Amino acid sequence: MTALEASGTGKAPAVDAKASAAGDHPVTPATSNPRRDARRKRLEIAIFVGPALLIFFTFVVFPMVMAARYSLYKWDSRQPFELAEFIGLDNYTRALIGGTDPETQEIFWKAYAEPFWNAVGNNGQIIVLSMLIQLPVAMIVALVLNRKFAGRSSVRLIIFAPYVLAEVTAGLMWMMLLDPRGPVTQMIQGLGLPTPSQGWLEDPTWGFWTFFFIVSWKYIGLAIILFLAGLAGVPQELQEAASIDGASWWQVQWRINIPLIGPTVRVWAFLSIIGSIQLFDMAWVLNKGGSTGQYSTIATLMVDIGTQRNDGGYASALAIIMFIFSMSAALAYMALIMRRDTANGRTRKAKKGVKA
Amino acid sequence: MTTATTTGATVSPTRKGASRARAQLTGDSSIYITIFVALVAVALTLGPIIYLGLGGFRSNGQIAADPTGLPDPWVWQNYWNILTNSTFWRYTLNSLIVAGATTLGVVVFGTMAAYPLARYQFRGREGVFIIFTAGLMFPLTVAIFPLFLLLQDLGLKGMWGLVVPQVAFALPVTVIIMRPFLAALPDELEEAAFMDGLTRVGFFFRMILPLAKPGMVTVGVLAFLGSWNAYLLPLVILTGRDAPKTLPLGVTEFQGQNASDFAGIMAYTFLAMIPALVFFLMMERRIVDGLSGAVKG
Amino acid sequence: MASMRKTSAAVAFAASAALLLAACSSDGTETDPTESATGGETSDAGGEPVTLTWWHNAVAGDNGQNDLGDYWQSLADAYTAENPNVTIEIEQIQNEDLQRTRIPLALQSGDAPDLFQAWGGGELATQVESGYLMDLTDTLADDISRLGGGVAPWQYEGSTYGLPFQFGVEGVWYRESLFEEAGITEEPATMADLGDAVQKLKDAGITPIAVGAADGWPAAHWWYNFALRSCSQDVIQSAGTSLDFSDQCWIDAGEQLEEFLGTEPFQDQFISTVAQTGATSSAGLVATGEAAMELMGHWNVFVYEGFTDGSEEAIDALHDDLGWFPMPATDGGAGDPTAALGGGDGFACYVDAPPECADFLAFIVSDENQAGAAEAAGILPVAPAAAEAVTNPVLVELSQVAGNAAYVQLWLDTTFGTNVGGAMNDGIVGIFAGTGDAQDVVDLMTAAALTQ
Repeated sequence: MTALEASGTGKAPAVDAKASAAGDHPVTPATSNPRRDARRKRLEIAIFVGPALLIFFTFVVFPMVMAARYSLYKWDSRQPFELAEFIGLDNYTRALIGGTDPETQEIFWKAYAEPFWNAVGNNGQIIVLSMLIQLPVAMIVALVLNRKFAGRSSVRLIIFAPYVLAEVTAGLMWMMLLDPRGPVTQMIQGLGLPTPSQGWLEDPTWGFWTFFFIVSWKYIGLAIILFLAGLAGVPQELQEAASIDGASWWQVQWRINIPLIGPTVRVWAFLSIIGSIQLFDMAWVLNKGGSTGQYSTIATLMVDIGTQRNDGGYASALAIIMFIFSMSAALAYMALIMRRDTANGRTRKAKKGVKA
Repeated sequence: MTTATTTGATVSPTRKGASRARAQLTGDSSIYITIFVALVAVALTLGPIIYLGLGGFRSNGQIAADPTGLPDPWVWQNYWNILTNSTFWRYTLNSLIVAGATTLGVVVFGTMAAYPLARYQFRGREGVFIIFTAGLMFPLTVAIFPLFLLLQDLGLKGMWGLVVPQVAFALPVTVIIMRPFLAALPDELEEAAFMDGLTRVGFFFRMILPLAKPGMVTVGVLAFLGSWNAYLLPLVILTGRDAPKTLPLGVTEFQGQNASDFAGIMAYTFLAMIPALVFFLMMERRIVDGLSGAVKG
Repeated sequence: MASMRKTSAAVAFAASAALLLAACSSDGTETDPTESATGGETSDAGGEPVTLTWWHNAVAGDNGQNDLGDYWQSLADAYTAENPNVTIEIEQIQNEDLQRTRIPLALQSGDAPDLFQAWGGGELATQVESGYLMDLTDTLADDISRLGGGVAPWQYEGSTYGLPFQFGVEGVWYRESLFEEAGITEEPATMADLGDAVQKLKDAGITPIAVGAADGWPAAHWWYNFALRSCSQDVIQSAGTSLDFSDQCWIDAGEQLEEFLGTEPFQDQFISTVAQTGATSSAGLVATGEAAMELMGHWNVFVYEGFTDGSEEAIDALHDDLGWFPMPATDGGAGDPTAALGGGDGFACYVDAPPECADFLAFIVSDENQAGAAEAAGILPVAPAAAEAVTNPVLVELSQVAGNAAYVQLWLDTTFGTNVGGAMNDGIVGIFAGTGDAQDVVDLMTAAALTQ
């Protein structure tokens, strides 16, 4: 794919697209009347973009706006919304600091802010661990597999397979594997190693790590495949030249391959961060985030409060908070880390302009 | 593994030679490290799935007696019972129809929307694009409750109630992938077309659509998989006696109704994985390309 | 993924439910069984065509059989035969989906089924407050008095909004052979007895008690029972409406549970154990004879049966070896030591449902048809006149024990409603997991109550 090859050669992928998308397409069909042409163009735009925009606004933006509205109310979601009571930002303060009423703050902190920050912490830990564990592991696997060997294509295919499985089936599979007396427990014990005293997924300390392992199993294939695709675009001549100069395998990877797929890695990291903030399906399928929230996420907490506890206003506030987190993470990441790529993109565009 | 050959596309003839050279340079012994890593990765990935599939060939007694054993004797009953039950096939068909309709809607509306965003000059273009991009920050989970109420108000039920919102939530990623794809087509195409008297609309149908096929296949594959695996939306939307339940709901339904039948649940779960795996084998390249395309967004 | 099939297809219990229920309500006046209400009485055979939609939770069980679901279908057929203008469309929905997702969303959307499952208690109160339910007080006055005190959980502020067809209590199920093996000769009547039994079973290498704490509610029921022993009937009942948990007895309940947990009576990894799925679930452990006891509702005999090969001999052998005793008495506490916790199933009509809905509901809960349901599907009827139809030997034995209960309290989570009930269950699971304490449970409940 051109995109990946571009990223492999060090050109900025994220911006590559934008640069050319924003590039001028000065040519227009020849017409006699410029004004009528302008009107016609507007009509065309409306016809092309209109349906998608209509569907998008109706089914994505409108529900979000409604969620924002609900979040300002005390609303038992089983009751008609007309019975709801406007309470301003109380749902938000309840989640963030346990409310503003000093008399109830202590129990509200325990009942609402603590589970909320626990979930935020889990989301955060998954982000950090993805960078500290998934990234290096995926990188090493990709570097090692980035060569010709018998069955290479099959191996790539297999590593990526979990990514396409439904969370429901993958989650159920792991639940059966991790059964208190299931095969995983037996094998680990067979090796003479200890297993969690409270079971893999529900143990207060091990539960999160087990969950992280399952999530990694499900999603690490994406990182490996992307990195491999990026590596395929690194010019072989560079590596060969380095090797001839006496660089070891590791030096070649460290000096040439890894830096050159930097843009791919940064984009994967971006996807991973957003995905981690929005993580829901797998945690929900396993046991609704764990019986004591050991692997709960903001999303599972939100759905739990919304569907099991029927606190529609509070659940909506959590939904909006999650959106704000995703948006802030995206903007911050763009500003801090991808800016470099963007800058590259601009230079490239400028060069292109000169050429043209 | 029939598609294995297609992945060879990344290895161009010149690179084949180069990588052979590199293999020589780095020493032959390192190939063992590669093979070792590959084997470990494959075992970790496939092991659980194979265990699940084999578990379906065992009886509950066998599983209870030795969770890690092989089928002895092989029990065909679990798979046979599911495959001869019409509900499994009906759910599979429902999933297929819903995913197919979702894919069609996403590709048609997404490509249409991406075309002006890629190749027209107009005020507010970046604004529209940013709105679609921001859609990535709204996962369906977040909006599930208001969305359900909205669908009720609009009277969207059954398959339509599933397809339309799925199209809506798949549009952002589609537009994000399709726009650069369409923008990358050379400007000269347009110049030539307009010279021949083609309008912009005519250009879209005569030139863009055929050329954009690879991109459309990519976004289509992503939309198909997303719909096929969806769980929360079907759970709340597919209500009513004749609701066209999809396969993920079938899995949990089966689990709920056959709680004590561990082997049966393993068989059902494994069978429910197979269509996605087969689809993946057929479309592996497209999926990878689509995701790398998304990466570019 | 835990499916809470509390009231799945074949739910049953024994004869004296009506007796229990009479005690359950303060004004439980028992009346002579009146003639069963039948469809023909009120609806006009030549009336306008009417379609009733009916959602119930009788889904097919492990063996693919759906006795109760089939029975409901036969009742619908019988009713429509008598009332040709009525068409009944039935939908069977798994219990937890039905209660947590389908009914709330359907009511909310205004496109609700006419007749649907109702569990009573706080949930019914919310539905009434929202104006979703049809007031049946006058239209079904005869049936309400015929069913007696059993209707109480389906009443709110003096009016009746639903009618039950079954009600049962919970207690400790045990394997008699394992008790024998451990040298336990009598069913534990006090917590001290239970402690002894637990120790003897441990000494014999048997897991004393199984609990499916991963599902939450099975663990929570232990706390409910401690609360039932430590709190007076007045405190519990007033808490149902005031949602005030300041009485010390609520904390005592948690402390008693903590003390009990300290004796390590449960199986290994109980926090990871589910209630009903697979041989390593709590029901599976008891059914396969690995664990001796389990605290569960009246439906559990059918869950255990699901773990046999389904043959008559196997089920008979299970019944022979299965015993049941009520929650033991605790030391002190303001609660009656013989009070019992229970729950039931009923149906309610949507507020905009056609009048035929109430008529059909009366038909469902008629003496004759409750007896029929008991025979066909093993339900535990509420109608006093239908009590004799219960024949399952285990359940007959159960009913005799349960009949001595001083009063029957509806499940606490149902009583307090989903929000406070959910907070309560979360807190209790925290005690089981060792991440929370007795005070936390009360705090979480109080906080949840303050938000609604």
